Amino acid sequence: MQIIEQRQGAVTVLKPVGPLVQKDADQLKSRATDVLRKSLGRFVIDASAIAYADSRGLEVLVELTEELGAGGQALKLSSVNETLREVLDLTELAPLFECHEDVNCAVRSFL
Amino acid sequence: MIQTGEQPRGKSLGERAAASARFTGESAPVWAALAITLVVVGSVGFTAWLTVRGHAKAMREARAAQVENACRFVAEAAAPLLASGDLTAVRRIVIDAARSNSLDEMRIVLGDGGVLAAADPAKITAHHLPPQLPEVSLTPPAASSARRVVIAQAVDVPGRGRARLEASGPATMPTGALRDAQAAAGIVGAVGLVSLLLVSRVLQRRLRGMAAIRASLVAFERGERSSETLAVDESLGGEARAWNDLLSQRDIERRRQRAQHAAETLGGQRAARGELDDACDALWQGLILIDENLRTKYANGAAAVFLRAKRDEVVGSEITKFVTDERLLNTIRGVASGAIRSRLAVEIERTGDSGAGVLRFSVRPVRREDSAAAMILIEDVTQQRVADAARNAFVAQASHELRTPLTNIRLYVEQLLDGEPTPADRAQAINVIHQESRRLERIVSDMLSVAEIEAGQLRIVEDDVRLDALFAELEADYRAQAEEKKLDLRFDLPPKLPVIQGDRDKIALALHNLIGNALKYTPAGGTVRVVVADDEENFTVDVVDTGIGIAPEDAERVFDKFYRAKDRRVAELTGTGLGLALAREVIRLHGGDVTVQSELDKGSTFSLSIPMHARAA
Repeated sequence: MQIIEQRQGAVTVLKPVGPLVQKDADQLKSRATDVLRKSLGRFVIDASAIAYADSRGLEVLVELTEELGAGGQALKLSSVNETLREVLDLTELAPLFECHEDVNCAVRSFL
Repeated sequence: MIQTGEQPRGKSLGERAAASARFTGESAPVWAALAITLVVVGSVGFTAWLTVRGHAKAMREARAAQVENACRFVAEAAAPLLASGDLTAVRRIVIDAARSNSLDEMRIVLGDGGVLAAADPAKITAHHLPPQLPEVSLTPPAASSARRVVIAQAVDVPGRGRARLEASGPATMPTGALRDAQAAAGIVGAVGLVSLLLVSRVLQRRLRGMAAIRASLVAFERGERSSETLAVDESLGGEARAWNDLLSQRDIERRRQRAQHAAETLGGQRAARGELDDACDALWQGLILIDENLRTKYANGAAAVFLRAKRDEVVGSEITKFVTDERLLNTIRGVASGAIRSRLAVEIERTGDSGAGVLRFSVRPVRREDSAAAMILIEDVTQQRVADAARNAFVAQASHELRTPLTNIRLYVEQLLDGEPTPADRAQAINVIHQESRRLERIVSDMLSVAEIEAGQLRIVEDDVRLDALFAELEADYRAQAEEKKLDLRFDLPPKLPVIQGDRDKIALALHNLIGNALKYTPAGGTVRVVVADDEENFTVDVVDTGIGIAPEDAERVFDKFYRAKDRRVAELTGTGLGLALAREVIRLHGGDVTVQSELDKGSTFSLSIPMHARAA
């Protein structure tokens, strides 16, 4: 899976490209955990290019928001497409995340 | 079953498993069913063979008995007739007996080899009965075999001696009995085989389902936990569907548990702890309470994260164990001891691979009657500091941008007011003032547009945009500037430009920024071409220059707000870093895009494209 990493100010934006499944999900977990450790949790996952997620993909998102939760934060997702949003709603996981309309909004939320 | 959206919707777990060809139970059961079928078919065949063989043996034995009986009958009947010398009757008996018993050969042989009677009269060699018969052996001319039965029988002729009766014929009766038995065995075998094939086919399907489930279980034992991988092909039957349902239920339960666990971690209701603790843990700011001995009495979760320690380690320990900055420690000591009674803040910049950023520690006294204490609030202000720095840089840059045209305007106004300008000077001054005021207008417009983008309020107002008028205006605006810089500015326009739907001011803003940048970053003597093309679907403008170009690493970032390429030649020129970001933003609002192709030191091509029937986004 390709994961595009960009910096917007002090915030790191991770943009996974492709479905969030199995090993790809683990790859994102590893990358995001590394960014989380380096940046005190100042990162956003741009979900605009995530077509769908399987159970492992959802688990990784939950695990990341759990890690951030230890510091009173929640995982910030931006540009979540309709399919992924529906999955989060159906699985009752949506309240665990901060969903933002686009990356700029998500980055501004750190101000 | 809940759709988890892992695959395009409408497919069940089993269908997806079938699609991915996992655990379809192909090999082992097929071979098992084949082996069972072969064993059973072999057994049936062997049994049929034994039956037929036994039947044939019985037939041969019966045949042998029949021939023996016939020989015995002929011998007993022929003996008195030979004694009386009635050869004709004997020969008739032999012929009749051979015919009625389906014998190839039956004859009465004398000791000297003469044939006294035979089934085939042509073979008779002894035409007269001697008064005394020569001694004869009872050994048959050939041994019996599986195919033929050969019998030798003594014919004791009273008063004359002994002759030998020989008979030979097929070992089995040429009747259809054996054939019927063989056909019956064949039919039974075929029916059995077909039945077995049908049974094995049904069995095979069931076995494949079970084998697929078994393979799934083996994978689970080896550590595979993904339901997508563990699912089996539902076409393998009810067991397979039940197995997939079980996996789906497991997923739902796991997600429910994870959600519940995560909700608790994120500050949900936890019975063992108070609401205040929950509220403090929901803060993203770190909160620490210390006593006058600098011992930590309370720390929330965020505080532990900021101090890069476990919460249990922080609570009960001295804060000096986790804070090493001397300025901050002095502040904490002063406040905790009561020497400082006001709120103080210290910002610390941390670097390195673990938790880099700017942390603000706000230390304030907690007034209590029995003892002194201090509260420390920790905030991550890294992004604010970065934003402050960007804003300061922007203000400085914008001030410079604004000051330059204002200075020009003031100088020319003073020239008009103080001196006695000639008509030519007056015209030039007014022209410069006009150009600089337009430049000011664009800078202010850019800033306002950026503010609108930041606030999410940038909208386009759709109307007819007459492109011929727009490009005439652009050419007039930039012609003088290009000549002044000795640039070859060319507008390659089609004979007739269309009227498109869009926001004229915003499209003009984008084009001004693209053409203005091309003129700005192209050295004297260079060329700037504005190439316009339109087809049924899109209206495109390519702004091609022979300027300084853009390094590959900067090519996409030039569209970021406030970003300016690292090139020294760019830094020498003024600019807010907003133009290209604005251009792309407003064109995207029209459903189009702005892209760039560039080569360092050779030039750039910025391409603007708008759908002919653009509608406001």
